[in-house]
Amino acid sequence: MWILDSVPRGGVDLWYKDGTVKKVHHEYDPPFYLHLPDPHPHHEMIEALESEYRSEECTFTTIFGDRAGYKVFAGRTVAEAIEQQTQYEAQLFNVDVRIDQRFMAERRIFPCCAEQESRFSPDLTCDLRQMEIRIRDNPARSSVCSDIDVVYGRTERLHGAERDVLADLFALVTSCDPDVILMPDADAWMQKLQKQARACGLVLPFSRTGKYRTMDARSYWSYGRVEHKEAALIPDGRILIDTAQSFVYRDGGLAGVLMAARLSGLSPNLASRFTPGTLISGYEVYEAVTRGIAVPFRKSDAEKVRRFAELRAADRGGMMFQPAPGVYEDVDEIDFTSLYPSIIVQSNLSPETIDHPERAGFLPAVLDPLLGLRIRTKQAKKQDPRYAGIDSILKWMLVTCFGYTGYKNAKFGRIEVHEGITGRSRDILLRTKDIAETMGFNVLHGIVDCLWVKGSPVGALKDCVEQATRLLTEVEHFDWIVFLPQNDGSGSYSHYYGRLADGSVKVRGIAARRHDTPEYIRSMQRDMLAVMSGAAAIADLLAVKDRVSAIYRHAVQELPHAAVSALAVNRRISRLTYAHRCIEGAAVNAYRTNGVSIVPGMKISYVVRDARKYQVDPAWDAGSFDCSYYRGLLEKAWKEISYAFTPGNTCSTEGGAGSSIV
Amino acid sequence: MRIELQSGITLQSGTFNAVIAPERVIISALNSHADLQRFLFLFVCGNYSRILSSISRTSANFEVRRAFTAHQLFTIVKEAGHTIVFVEHDPTMFDGAETMIMPVSAALRDAGREALVILYTPSMDRPFSALARFADRIFQITPAGDPSCHRHRSARPYPPGGLLPPAQTTLEGS
Repeated sequence: MWILDSVPRGGVDLWYKDGTVKKVHHEYDPPFYLHLPDPHPHHEMIEALESEYRSEECTFTTIFGDRAGYKVFAGRTVAEAIEQQTQYEAQLFNVDVRIDQRFMAERRIFPCCAEQESRFSPDLTCDLRQMEIRIRDNPARSSVCSDIDVVYGRTERLHGAERDVLADLFALVTSCDPDVILMPDADAWMQKLQKQARACGLVLPFSRTGKYRTMDARSYWSYGRVEHKEAALIPDGRILIDTAQSFVYRDGGLAGVLMAARLSGLSPNLASRFTPGTLISGYEVYEAVTRGIAVPFRKSDAEKVRRFAELRAADRGGMMFQPAPGVYEDVDEIDFTSLYPSIIVQSNLSPETIDHPERAGFLPAVLDPLLGLRIRTKQAKKQDPRYAGIDSILKWMLVTCFGYTGYKNAKFGRIEVHEGITGRSRDILLRTKDIAETMGFNVLHGIVDCLWVKGSPVGALKDCVEQATRLLTEVEHFDWIVFLPQNDGSGSYSHYYGRLADGSVKVRGIAARRHDTPEYIRSMQRDMLAVMSGAAAIADLLAVKDRVSAIYRHAVQELPHAAVSALAVNRRISRLTYAHRCIEGAAVNAYRTNGVSIVPGMKISYVVRDARKYQVDPAWDAGSFDCSYYRGLLEKAWKEISYAFTPGNTCSTEGGAGSSIV
Repeated sequence: MRIELQSGITLQSGTFNAVIAPERVIISALNSHADLQRFLFLFVCGNYSRILSSISRTSANFEVRRAFTAHQLFTIVKEAGHTIVFVEHDPTMFDGAETMIMPVSAALRDAGREALVILYTPSMDRPFSALARFADRIFQITPAGDPSCHRHRSARPYPPGGLLPPAQTTLEGS
């Protein structure tokens, strides 16, 4: 049956969707595993564990082999006490595996999948009743919901006194009984709704049991920046997705959330709130449990001792070839599909295979089916765009599976695996460059897993590369492409745009793509690129130059009359105190002055009123803006585009790339 | 075996030393003593080292181990059999693992009975203060003429009986 939700509560509650929704409670109290390298000094503790709780001698399997030890029927507190008592000699397993996930993994059942469906199928069959709740008030400023749109087939607007609005909303939720509630900023609103409901004597109806699980708020580092997650109230038996904050939903839609839940064995409520890194970790944990492999509690197996020179040689990142800035015609981008996970699978890279390469590794074994699913989904997406969301989530999960091998919280990671992957990727990119150059291609640019080449026939190059590397590649043809310069005049690795063979424009790194660009500026650059997309060749680009310039002049001219809201800068703040005066620091202060509490990782939206005096207003409170500041931003965005029209920037052929490692 | 950090400041074998100093001071100390090449040296750091890439050591005796978690650091220190153990402090290792501060600190102290153990940070933070509790000696080297540091010193950096041992002496580098 289709599992809609799983809740660990005195055992495990599974919520099944089969026409109706019903809850089945399962008694479940699993043990954790304990291994002591030298058990004799700890015999008193072992006896105490047997008498106080329940423990049994056993042998269990880890990725490094079998271990003799004990099953202990107790929880995390006891596990931590054992650690302390044994001076951290004890090795513990399956202590922090989510109980509902473990229950399902042991029975090889998983959420969001019909009985006849494979877990690794890109198809999802579900008949979920959906409701969307959009609260028009600002969750950062208001604790009152006075204006709400409810969409369930038709749209109903609830507006008026707070108690009436809430009573109507709750009545609608109760009568429609949706399986899925989509709600922007749900996590920010739920705590407030709960308080308001109590104050008004109403019962919050989102949970099907009336009970809620809580997730604490936290700020954390992810890919070099601070992120913030709001505290969440999670209902039982119903999927509540914070559509504004959920990365998985934003990138993959509901299908992406359901697929993430199916693969990781986690409730969709959790899958929608987790990062792709946590999802891939969840997937690996689920796979480990199904394969009877114990999941380590602590990551204490450190890197082996390295010689300094050896470390310097090994600890390098992906290969990059720096482009010569310019405008190029007829360029092909050859891109390896899921390069890093493919290397893990192909090269049998796993923590336990570093010292025993002859063994079949755990990571390759569990990533192989995921990789296969990604390849099938990517193919399916070309025919049916409904697969795009699932493809995106699979892509992110596979991208993070590489980084996770070197991440401190990874259960099955080891830095040597991380280095092995990047080492092989550098070899692959260099080999691909050699093949291309041997075949007469000119390599213009390269980033880790893709190369931009000029020459023909590209089909033959693709075949040769695939044959030589045994890895799948994809080719995209650019009618023209602009590699922008960095401030020092050398080519930028990540700032480029160009027209693809289908007439669309692919952009990376420029204002139109950046999250913090105000809509007014983004929209100007998008309009320019739309005009440029009509140019099929560099010669045609020159023909649209005047139209594109006119867009810039118009944007500058109309700037004083622009809507203030279109000039809001959206940024994620990484700190609360700033050593020097800056616009971002002024924005943080403006939020505080308006009574909004700020935490690192939170997104803020502000309008610059006077840049020279560092005067900034929160977007909702902005009445005017600094024309000269925004003119500067327009000019910067225009420079990225006008580079394509500047005489002397057109590169007819050779613009060879220089290599470096990042 | 001893390392001269700066004129008049030496670290001796059989001690656990906590050092707060600018990066250039510690890099210079590690690079300028050729005789250090003769000793088995273990450099321990986290995911991102501030100083490792600046160390010009080619000796086969110079070894590196990186720890991403406090538990890994604990294992590394316990297993270290080197003459010099240099730990570049990384406070992020103790995020959510505050309970490991005491065991790691005790492991550093134990390792310091045989070896020269140096726990180094360029700036003080809470986990470092706690780790330094078992240190035999704590050195803080501040650049001469740094007004912020003078202010800091005159404002009595550590309260009596506070985070650092009362016998601690704050030294100024030239």
